[in-house]
Amino acid sequence: MNFEFSTEPLPNRKMSTAFLEIDHVSRVFENDRGQPFVAIKDVYFEMKEGEFVSIIGHSGCGKSTVLNILSGLDRATEGGIVLEGREVREPGPDRMLVFQNHSLLPWLTVRQNIGLAVNRVMRNLSREERNRIIQENIDLVGLSHAADKYPREISGGMKQRVGIARALAIKPKILLLDEPFGALDALTRGRLQEKLMQICDEHKISAVMITHDVDEALLLSDRIVMMTNGPEAKIGQVLTVELPHPRKRLETVNHPNYYRLRGEIVSFLDRQKQIKLDRLKMKSNAAISMGSIEKTNLTIGYIPLTDCAPFVMAKEKGLFAKYGLDVTLSKETSWNDLAEGIREGRLDAAQMVTGLPLAITLGMGNKIPVPVVTSLTLSRNGNAITLSKKLQEAGVHDLASLKTYIDSFQNAYNPALGMVHHASMHNFMLRHWLASSGIQPDKDVDVIVIPPPQMVSNLMANNIIGYCVGEPWNVRAVDSNVGFVVATDLDIWHGHPEKVLGVRKEWAEQYPHTHLALVKALLEACQFCEPADNRDEIVLMLSQPQYLNLSPVYIRPGFAGPYRVSTMEAKYYKDFCQFGVGNMPSRKEQLWVLTQMARWGLVNFPENHAEVIYNLLATDIYQQAARELNLDITEEDREAIAFTDGSTFDLSDPIAALHSMPYSQFTEPLHFDPVKGFANKKVSAVRQ
Amino acid sequence: MQTLDITDNQQPKHQDPFLVIDNVSKVYPTPRGPYVVLQDVNLTVYEGEFICVIGHSGCGKSTLLNMVAGFNRPSSGEICLKSKPILRPGPDRMVVFQNYSLLPWMTAFENVLLAVKQVYKDKSKEEKVKIAKDSLAMVGLTEAMHKKPKQLSGGMRQRVSIARALSIRPEVLILDEPFGALDVMTREELQEELLAIWREHKVTALMITHEIDEALFLADRIVMMSNGPAANIAEIIDVPFARPRNRKALADDPRYYSLRNYILEFLYSRFALADDAE
Repeated sequence: MNFEFSTEPLPNRKMSTAFLEIDHVSRVFENDRGQPFVAIKDVYFEMKEGEFVSIIGHSGCGKSTVLNILSGLDRATEGGIVLEGREVREPGPDRMLVFQNHSLLPWLTVRQNIGLAVNRVMRNLSREERNRIIQENIDLVGLSHAADKYPREISGGMKQRVGIARALAIKPKILLLDEPFGALDALTRGRLQEKLMQICDEHKISAVMITHDVDEALLLSDRIVMMTNGPEAKIGQVLTVELPHPRKRLETVNHPNYYRLRGEIVSFLDRQKQIKLDRLKMKSNAAISMGSIEKTNLTIGYIPLTDCAPFVMAKEKGLFAKYGLDVTLSKETSWNDLAEGIREGRLDAAQMVTGLPLAITLGMGNKIPVPVVTSLTLSRNGNAITLSKKLQEAGVHDLASLKTYIDSFQNAYNPALGMVHHASMHNFMLRHWLASSGIQPDKDVDVIVIPPPQMVSNLMANNIIGYCVGEPWNVRAVDSNVGFVVATDLDIWHGHPEKVLGVRKEWAEQYPHTHLALVKALLEACQFCEPADNRDEIVLMLSQPQYLNLSPVYIRPGFAGPYRVSTMEAKYYKDFCQFGVGNMPSRKEQLWVLTQMARWGLVNFPENHAEVIYNLLATDIYQQAARELNLDITEEDREAIAFTDGSTFDLSDPIAALHSMPYSQFTEPLHFDPVKGFANKKVSAVRQ
Repeated sequence: MQTLDITDNQQPKHQDPFLVIDNVSKVYPTPRGPYVVLQDVNLTVYEGEFICVIGHSGCGKSTLLNMVAGFNRPSSGEICLKSKPILRPGPDRMVVFQNYSLLPWMTAFENVLLAVKQVYKDKSKEEKVKIAKDSLAMVGLTEAMHKKPKQLSGGMRQRVSIARALSIRPEVLILDEPFGALDVMTREELQEELLAIWREHKVTALMITHEIDEALFLADRIVMMSNGPAANIAEIIDVPFARPRNRKALADDPRYYSLRNYILEFLYSRFALADDAE
């Protein structure tokens, strides 16, 4: 993840030591009627020498404008470009541009076309020296066999290689690529990308590339800058591509991070596309009010997992309608997308992994803090840890034997385990479980984010040795005979909160009656989902295409019948999926989550943690809803949380608890301000 | 290769072969002797199927589709549609190319009407006009039908080509990289429209593409070609996703990534094209 909101001025910016700096660049054009048109606004990023940065976005997002300004063909209206400490205002041989149309001179051969550039720029070198450079670069792009052919005699892909050789031959400080392979077919493009990757790996070339090809960006880049739609296009997200070098396509696509990173970009582009389409349709998300309900039309985000049942049943059973709400359920691709939906206001409310309200509130991952409240715990338990069948064959059957396996693991990489989001219970419980046996997360094993639907394929591809996820994804691994369940969350923390309802605090303040109606509808749905008698009906609802789109065979285990831990063995777990138990937002559970976020270095621990948690919980809304539904309300006790391994969490002194947790990365608490964030940001660099 | 044997939805089995490519080879004479483009290609396509053909440039996929269209005859073997050998182009097989091949001096409507007139010679003028208008409506071009190609965007021009091809109700729709020149957003939009039209018209579709994601989204089966000379079908992949398909749902399906990587491996490793083979 690692998004930086680059539009945000950085606090205390020191003297720039960056290789290239695009310093708050805006470009304003004049349209036909003489009115100003802001193409890009306040675009800011820095890059290091040897870095490859791609800029991606839909057409009209101003990415070519950025590149034109970089090349010196165009000037910024505000801000500027600094290359190695000097401002760039004109084109120069230190920045070579490669276009889509290769613009080779038709009457010159490949060698002569490259020679033209070399002879002009490197006049002070001897003829022999220049010829050597020309030949070197011909060889570099693999064109030795065609060096003396004319452009009309070679394919489009080969012409583009000439363009690259010509640009590289004069040894620019930075290579600027403007959709260099855009005019080629996908497969020729693929081969050239790989060639360019090889050249960049070997020669440490600094480059900025414009593209709309997601796979191209991922293969080549160290960082990907994603631009929002114009007018006033700006940087929406910056993604660090943590894929090992040297890169080859097939190794890259089989890396466990690949499809997660790809998913991030695809969903960013999808969101931008949707915004573009909505703008065309002039669709508005304006509130429609009715009676005391301030906003009746709601869009609610969820992830298609078995435990989204309360949302599906509230919709299908007419409970939203009963309380005056007209709800559209929005199926989200990843927890990260869903979080963005809440931050941007695209979603009114969302199903959230337990730590997500805190993560958004605290601005985890170097983001701007956006206060969120939670007014309902939607489900408890329901997760499991699946390990690869290969480990089972190697004798792994429990945590102790997993430790033996990991200790003896011999490979260039650490073994990796998947989980769904840094702020999810999956992450915290998996780490707690590992740590309890002396396996140190991030040192002995990597714990990486993978969207739930991609877990099984990553397991099969041996990218990960196992994962912690909700259903139906453990069942599917068992069913395909590629994995076995080594533990369920009942073996770690029986009764832990799993999913909660989250809304922006601002939203909750603006629409209090809507909020109450929403909690009532969902609380009633949770109560409906609890009894075993209702579960078969729920399974059929969930299996429909608009929800899980999956055969009931995969939904039933553990939810409405025995749970299958391996193809050979089924167990009956009474509490595996709970919806109607302990629905009140819990102070101590969120406090534990906060300590885990600090323990694993995801956020600082706030000095004012009591205030942070107090602001997070909308207990009053929950209690009002429960009263109106005639449910019992018991105040939360202050007893310690007891884990299955015998450890406890004493909430009276979280800082002492944090210090005593194994492998804790926590150092010292810092003050958290809901607007400005943590007093000091240095620890919040998240390793993701 | 990882195989996923989770099949949520079995495709109904087809009955009679519809289009049969039987031991087809294509050889061109050259000054340096005969050049074998395709050798012993066999493929059976069933009615209503959507087939995508994928392979590197020069693998003879266009040659193969040209022979199905009837622009070209096999050097040996034969291609039969409903048991009748294909000898020449006919209105039962329509082709959509990447470059729109619309007549620039005619409007969208006139371009479509021209095709309708050539095929439905015995229909009344009103009927022909209605067919042309309905076809354009099908691709959402009612408002723009009196515009000339120059006034239309790339995506709209390709819609006209599809409308023109479908207006005469072909049994086989042949698409030669139809969306290759379009931007991603337009391409995805047209893919969705094409699928909707294909479902409604129950036409059999054969499409050449270089895009793996496009093939996985559209096809029932993906035919993967080996490299030329003497190219052949190296492998056929069954695409197991339920229809109607939804791009987001595909992204949720673990099988999608396995198949995608499998095809990547085929194209960039097993049948990779050498650097100097362009």
